[in-house]
Amino acid sequence: MESLNLLTALAHVNVEQGFFYVLAAIAIPLAYGVVFDRNVIRSGFLLIGVFATIAGLFFLLQAQFLGLSQILIYGVGITLVIVIALMLTNARQETGMNPALPANVGLASFVSVLVFTTIYLSLRSAEDWPLKNESSLSLPPNIEMIGKHLMTYYALPFEFASILLLAALVGAVMLSKAEPASLANAGDEAEQAVDGTDRV
Amino acid sequence: MNSAVFEIGKFARLTLLWLCIIFGAVWGVSWSIGVLLPAVILSQSGESGRFWAQLLQALVPVVAVALFVPLNTCYMVLAERRLLALFTVRKGPNRVGPDGAFQTVADALKLLLKEEITPRGADLLMYTLAPVIFFAPSIIGVMPLLAAVSGNHPLFTPVNLPTGVFYILAVSSIPVVGVVMGGWASNNKYSLVGALRSAAQAISYEIPLLLSIITVCLLAGTLDFVQIADNQRGSLLNWNILGGGALTHLGIGSPWWSIAAALLLAACCILLFALYVICACAEVNRTPFDLPEAESELVSGFNTEYSGIKFAIFFLAEYTNLFIVSTFAAVMFLGGGHAPFPGLEDACISGLRGLLAAWFGACTPFQLGWLVNSLVNPATVSQVFWIIVKSYALVWFASLIRATLPRLRIDQLMDYSWKRLVPLALILLIAVTFLKELV
Amino acid sequence: MLGMVGRAAEGFYQVCRGLWTVFKHSGRPPTTKEFPDVMPELPGAFRGRLALAVNPETGEHLCISCRQCERVCPDKCIDITAHKSPQTGKLELIDFKIDHGLCMFCGLCTEVCPTSCIINTSDFEMSEYSRGALIYDLKRLTLSQEESAYYFAKKDLPPPKPKAKPAPKPEAAGDAGESLAQQPSDVSQQPGPKAEE
Repeated sequence: MESLNLLTALAHVNVEQGFFYVLAAIAIPLAYGVVFDRNVIRSGFLLIGVFATIAGLFFLLQAQFLGLSQILIYGVGITLVIVIALMLTNARQETGMNPALPANVGLASFVSVLVFTTIYLSLRSAEDWPLKNESSLSLPPNIEMIGKHLMTYYALPFEFASILLLAALVGAVMLSKAEPASLANAGDEAEQAVDGTDRV
Repeated sequence: MNSAVFEIGKFARLTLLWLCIIFGAVWGVSWSIGVLLPAVILSQSGESGRFWAQLLQALVPVVAVALFVPLNTCYMVLAERRLLALFTVRKGPNRVGPDGAFQTVADALKLLLKEEITPRGADLLMYTLAPVIFFAPSIIGVMPLLAAVSGNHPLFTPVNLPTGVFYILAVSSIPVVGVVMGGWASNNKYSLVGALRSAAQAISYEIPLLLSIITVCLLAGTLDFVQIADNQRGSLLNWNILGGGALTHLGIGSPWWSIAAALLLAACCILLFALYVICACAEVNRTPFDLPEAESELVSGFNTEYSGIKFAIFFLAEYTNLFIVSTFAAVMFLGGGHAPFPGLEDACISGLRGLLAAWFGACTPFQLGWLVNSLVNPATVSQVFWIIVKSYALVWFASLIRATLPRLRIDQLMDYSWKRLVPLALILLIAVTFLKELV
Repeated sequence: MLGMVGRAAEGFYQVCRGLWTVFKHSGRPPTTKEFPDVMPELPGAFRGRLALAVNPETGEHLCISCRQCERVCPDKCIDITAHKSPQTGKLELIDFKIDHGLCMFCGLCTEVCPTSCIINTSDFEMSEYSRGALIYDLKRLTLSQEESAYYFAKKDLPPPKPKAKPAPKPEAAGDAGESLAQQPSDVSQQPGPKAEE
């Protein structure tokens, strides 16, 4: 592995820290953009950017699996669903609304302070971050570790998560199935009409 | 009959010419940046030049891909047009250069010189960013494949990630963002409808695609491209499309359930390959699933408003994606860079070695021997040859599909994915998991 | 469940059959005609550029200035200038203009022509740099003797009778001249289509 020399040389000049600041400098304005952009769909796309930079942070921490799943699931899948939902709902109505009403501001600031305090406290309370003192290059391949932990130590939460997802899936199917009778009839007729034209 | 053979011969000649251009260029540039220049630097400045030499070597994969992508697209578009012409009993482009070999080069030049138009009411930033987001993943996505394609050549080892398969899957899901972005930003109904169709299609077909690839990874027991390819060494029977060696382990004395399991596993893997081909066609918006750019309905879909170099980028990315998907299939299912029959590979390598010795044996007095040896590594050549054959065969197969199958309707498309392919993929995943243990 | 598997297998088989059918076509010689290098062989009934034929044997102009074509043309792209000759009393053609930019190549003029003079040639390469250049005058429209012979043979038209020669009897010549002179005015008084019927 000749390239390892290069990597260690790069590590000496604190490239990692530099990258962290670069990514943070991209992520924070993007996150602000998500909140402040009046165009809902554009803020949806900005959200993809935020997730992508966070995936970059995961890569910096040598957590390839997390970074890649971040891109695959959050960066593309979920955000795209959000964006499409926004496109198919009427976004023009919302741009006319004024979100900065005094009552809204009070509620919003309360929620944000609460969330911020919670996250800050939980981060502070965990005194010892395991990665802090270890050289990240010497870690074992982490996909294997994640797999083993999911199947052994975290088996129960894993199963709970899958049951939750299953319930959500079944719920979604039920919601889309339970149409009002009149609508269902109309749908049937439309379908018949389509079939008729097909036969013609 | 003779004239038909003549046409096929013309196509073969064209292919040979272009493959020589593409791989000669990529090979030469990689070699000069990765081997020749570092050697010169080291001999000139000794230890102090080590950093620069290594930096150059680290740049090789990037340069190789950046050179490969446009050249390869030129060839693929030309080959597709000639093949469609063959299948529809026409001649195809045959004016620019010998047999029209440089038609696509001329087309590309024309496209680059065309005026760029931004429609009124377009979101300029996103309109410009969309082709970039669409194209970037296809460049980044090729990287881990390089190691598998070149048989883990030392120059390309750094890009061989232990999570290569997962990496490509993650990266290849990004282009759809570019599609939706471009479709929405161009302020055009057709573009938007094309983009929404594309998003729906990509999300639906990504699930069976992922499941089929996960199943192959499960069979191979790794996410590393080079290892997956190496596991299929030997012969046709070791390829993942036939169960990844399940059939070779069978002897005369094997118990009946083992034989049955191996046969079932092979059948499952063939189904898996069919599943992969279908989903890959949908992922790269190829013909039976080209609803995002259905010409007869949506003008040209999400790229209706694009012109000039931005359109060229979309075009480039589309064909590169097709190539990535084909190479991916070649590595995952068709044995990577390994020959289909035992002994053929060794014969290739030893024959090439003999040829080299005969040609360049005379060069050693001039101290050129090591340069030539580092330029042409017989093992690498054999690997690259086989993977090229397999990948381009799949690309041509995609052209055949395009010439044959009509477009699906959007509700059929969604039905097909969610009601047929996803259950099939899940069944195959479970079946392969159990059968693998039984064999 | 079994039915579904059966249908899937059937579908797979049909797709493979389709692919094979298309693939087999790659073993056929291409039907492409490379046009500027190889001229297409067009049938005699092909309706290309309009032209005026002459008598292949004698070289006389066949047009008798009856204006039937001018009248029947849906696009009104034909413009005939003729006058009664003071010497013979016959109609004499001065100019014949066809605006090919307006013409839609319906071929009605060729059908009504009593002398098979106006015909559709097989020529279709008529690119010009201006619209004015598409208006053909008598000189550009008239075919040579050889060309006329070629098209008469190709279209299988009856060979034209020679025009009434300067006859030995002046009366007969006068009669012929009168009938020819009256014909257009007669027709013009009646509605066109009925006259044809």
